[in-house]
Amino acid sequence: MFKYQFDWTVVTSGQYAEWLLSGIKVTFELSLLSIVLSFFLGLLIAVMRMSHIAPIRWLAHGYLEFFRNTPLLVQIFFWYFGSYKILPKAFNDWLNNTNFEFAAAVIALTIYTSAFIAEDIRSGVRSIPKEQMEAARSSGFSYLRSMQYIILPQAIRLTIPPLINQFLNLTKNSSLAMTIGVMELTYQARQVESYTFKGFEAFTAATLIYVVISLIITGLVTLYSKKILSPMKAH
Amino acid sequence: MKKSGVIILVILFVMGLCGSLFAADALETIKKKGVMVAGVKDSTPGFGFIDEKTREIVGYDVDFVKAIAKKLGVKLELKPVTSASRMPQLMEGNIDIAAATMTKTAERAKQIDFSNTYFFTGQKFLVKKATVKSIADLDGKRIGTAKGSTSEQNAKKALPKATILSFDDYPQAFLALQQGKVFAVTTDESILANILGKAPNKEQFEIPDIQISDEPYGLGIRKGEKNFLDFVNKTLVEMEKSGEAKKIFDKWFGPGSTTPLKRGSFKITDGK
Repeated sequence: MFKYQFDWTVVTSGQYAEWLLSGIKVTFELSLLSIVLSFFLGLLIAVMRMSHIAPIRWLAHGYLEFFRNTPLLVQIFFWYFGSYKILPKAFNDWLNNTNFEFAAAVIALTIYTSAFIAEDIRSGVRSIPKEQMEAARSSGFSYLRSMQYIILPQAIRLTIPPLINQFLNLTKNSSLAMTIGVMELTYQARQVESYTFKGFEAFTAATLIYVVISLIITGLVTLYSKKILSPMKAH
Repeated sequence: MKKSGVIILVILFVMGLCGSLFAADALETIKKKGVMVAGVKDSTPGFGFIDEKTREIVGYDVDFVKAIAKKLGVKLELKPVTSASRMPQLMEGNIDIAAATMTKTAERAKQIDFSNTYFFTGQKFLVKKATVKSIADLDGKRIGTAKGSTSEQNAKKALPKATILSFDDYPQAFLALQQGKVFAVTTDESILANILGKAPNKEQFEIPDIQISDEPYGLGIRKGEKNFLDFVNKTLVEMEKSGEAKKIFDKWFGPGSTTPLKRGSFKITDGK
């Protein structure tokens, strides 16, 4: 019969706990960097998607459909292995001596998530009455300035809940980076499992850590929207 | 009516308890089921891989479990496993036996039992030609391997300053080598030789004569199944005596195969 001896010390002390800690650090860096980058890229794409100039709009639309509709794992492999074919040799050599695994994961996560974020922001903008844009334009604001000062600050506030969703998805999706050897949390949990065969403990610990990281990110974004975004109402 | 229902329930419960106390012997269970479920690799050339024509899993590992099933007089069911999943699958009872290029280690032997060694190899490196003369050339470099394998642990020990990158499987590690993303790929020589044998640009790569560990492969069996283990060991020794083991070796790794290896003085021996 299958008997399992739980041994929680493998994840609370010694070198295995150190591995998990270093995994937490990498997952944090990977997620936070990609969250910030994907937010600004998503903002840019959303504005382009609503542009009055048709080619810019088409470009943004193509970007959205392409990156929303291909699996993230394929995109990670594309940036890591596929980029080799199109880049010049000297650049490849330089990349290979840096931590290119991490960079490729950030690029893939950022681009993939920015497509979803752009759509969320766009739906936020669409919920702002169009008279506001008209009023801003007739007061002499250019299209970009009206967006910057009047529409986007309101739209982003409305977009916070779906944005939190995207950020949490991104954090969990970051575990796919282990397929190209980025030593993040899931990679380290698997590592602990393959050294100790204590898979239950390692993955329970990893699961709890993901929950905590997600709660921290939710907390940070909520705090930001309460403290920084809401006071703008007063103006 | 109600009372008898309760009594039946109690009886069933007690029978259930007894059942788990006197757990059925694996050998008997397999014979009764008429089928032995074997966990094998399905993407490790030479050992367990999908034949392009028949779409079935074939290889050195597969031939051994085939022989054991035949000796038992039961049907064989193959279940693909990976380096990371083979031990949990075995311990949870999803497979009866693991024939998946598994190195016998003391750590693993705490969780499962191993049969006699049925294949013997060593861990080496696959590198671009003329880049490596001694093991010192490898330290401090980026070395690729696959997750959940002993290769990773051995490499860390032998090359403390190197960065070990674990990919999902060996084909990706080899792709990373071709693109210069890693300096070497390390695992058992048999697996490296096969990757090299299939590579389109094989003349650019080589396997230098640097070995960092012995890798005796054993068949994995759930712990405490002494009858089944004895049966497997006896079958393996018989296969050696009858020459069947050597025949299987020559079929996959002989001079005419895609991965010529030397069997050397290796023989399946009882108790080893």
